[in-house]
Amino acid sequence: MSAARNRTPFDAGRAVYLAVNALLVAFLLAPIAVILVFALNPTPYISFPPVGVTWRWFDKFFSGADFMNALWLSLWIAACVLVLSILIGGASALALARGNLPGRAWLTAFFMSPLMLPAILTGLALFQSYLLAGLGRPVWGLIIGHTLVAVPYVIRTTLAVLHNFDRRIEEAAAVLGAGPIRVFFEVTLPLIRPGVFAGGVFAFIVSFDQFPVSLFLVQPNGETLPVVLFNYMKFDLDGAIAAASTVSILMALSVVLILEKLIGLKAYVKL
Amino acid sequence: MSSAAIRLERVSKRFDGRVVAVDDVSLEIAAGEFFALLGPSGCGKTTTLRMIAGFERPDSGRIHVGGADITDVAVHRRDMGMVFQSYALFPHRTVTENVAFGLRMRELPKPEIARRVEAALAQVALTGLEARRPAQLSGGQQQRVALARALVIEPRVLLCDEPLGALDRKLRQQMQFELKELQRRLGVTLVFVTHDQEEALAMSDRIAVMDRGRIEQVGTPAEIYGRPRTRFVADFIGEINFLESEPGAAPRALRPERVRLAPPGEGRVAGAIETANFLGGSTLYRVRGDDGRLLLARETHAGDRAPRDPGQRVGLVWSDEDAVTLER
Repeated sequence: MSAARNRTPFDAGRAVYLAVNALLVAFLLAPIAVILVFALNPTPYISFPPVGVTWRWFDKFFSGADFMNALWLSLWIAACVLVLSILIGGASALALARGNLPGRAWLTAFFMSPLMLPAILTGLALFQSYLLAGLGRPVWGLIIGHTLVAVPYVIRTTLAVLHNFDRRIEEAAAVLGAGPIRVFFEVTLPLIRPGVFAGGVFAFIVSFDQFPVSLFLVQPNGETLPVVLFNYMKFDLDGAIAAASTVSILMALSVVLILEKLIGLKAYVKL
Repeated sequence: MSSAAIRLERVSKRFDGRVVAVDDVSLEIAAGEFFALLGPSGCGKTTTLRMIAGFERPDSGRIHVGGADITDVAVHRRDMGMVFQSYALFPHRTVTENVAFGLRMRELPKPEIARRVEAALAQVALTGLEARRPAQLSGGQQQRVALARALVIEPRVLLCDEPLGALDRKLRQQMQFELKELQRRLGVTLVFVTHDQEEALAMSDRIAVMDRGRIEQVGTPAEIYGRPRTRFVADFIGEINFLESEPGAAPRALRPERVRLAPPGEGRVAGAIETANFLGGSTLYRVRGDDGRLLLARETHAGDRAPRDPGQRVGLVWSDEDAVTLER
């Protein structure tokens, strides 16, 4: 019977399923395609349909000192946020999952709260706090702001891995002679690493793309790429914006791919 | 391989907000013995094993291994091997790395580790699978890796928590033979937790039957089966008939193979066969007596005789000395 069903040439349910998926993917990717088209279109304003192909907007972006400084600053900040949020988020998730803490549900909600709050409020709150404390707007303040918004992503992905973690594996290591510290480095850490790094990828992208928090916390001469792009757009709306967006997308994509290659996010996701 | 005796001295364990998991348990397990902790789920057998391993600390009582009190010794210093029901292999490590783990923790020289891992893998017939990850192995192979990983450190005691529970019947029986043979060859003290009474009877030198945190009876498989002390043990192990006794008198029980099927009119009970469970070498009959009670009788088949048909009228015969008097 099942053989007969397998031979059926057309499966309506499956066709609909594939069509819906294709539509979703198209919906997600279409804006990116549009950006690329604008970035390559030579007219000095954004228009459709394109009239040709040019690299001038990429030239403008890569030769603009403002753009380049902002790009490097954004990358540098995102790298710091990646490291900080992995350390803080990973440790918090372990404590939340394993620590036998009183009021665990409340603590989890508290750690996740930056996700619920509009980022612009977080930015405003930090701005006022720094002002009250007389700190001004240091770069590390910006990094802290980004980290605050990025940490929940790491906590969430790490908690997901810890939720499915078979603790007998740690017990097996202990009974074989591994003390608590060795159990952590030999077993726990390698097994939660995919979750931590998956969260780290989110953290990097959240920071690299961060606008609302940055808006309040950047120094006048130390603006991150999204802020520079926003300011540029207020006066010029040409292909340089589209070129910058294309570069941003490629940056984010390559970070994901490099991490996947280095750490193998998929290698042992099945625990 | 040296082996050690284990002694539990009035050990109790209670988990927060729950009933007592292990209640005043005392046990002596001899060096080199194959010892089963048998009972239904929640009877405290696994908690007892986990206290011997050191994962749980007893609320009261002491645990001795090889004459030394290890109650306060940390898990990783107890020098024990353990096989888990889920195997708990390291999924991110190869077969070789899994087996080498305990030796690496003992900081042995690399050549010795390599040599001993190779020998351990040969012992469980896993040679050739060294580079695989656990996910690439069958259940039976994972089981053997778990066994090799526990045995390669030459533990004084091997603890097994339902190690065969996840295997299918055929493989399970094969592993029963292999595990027993391996244990005999190595002479290691083996403590084995199971809820499967057949498995416990088949493999163990001695069995402790547990119920609700207490030990009901300790004895050889033949003693446990033939001379159950309590109603619980009699009922849990194999099939049994509880005989009617006068009020106030001790309960009595009778194994079905001690009941002989005779022509109607003979024996103590007259009745009709209600159901016949053909078991291959024997058939287990459920007989409804004319007085309404149910009795089990087992008949071994000589030659190719077919089992009797349900509905057939029979008489049931047994002798009083075959009935066991129970304490409670």
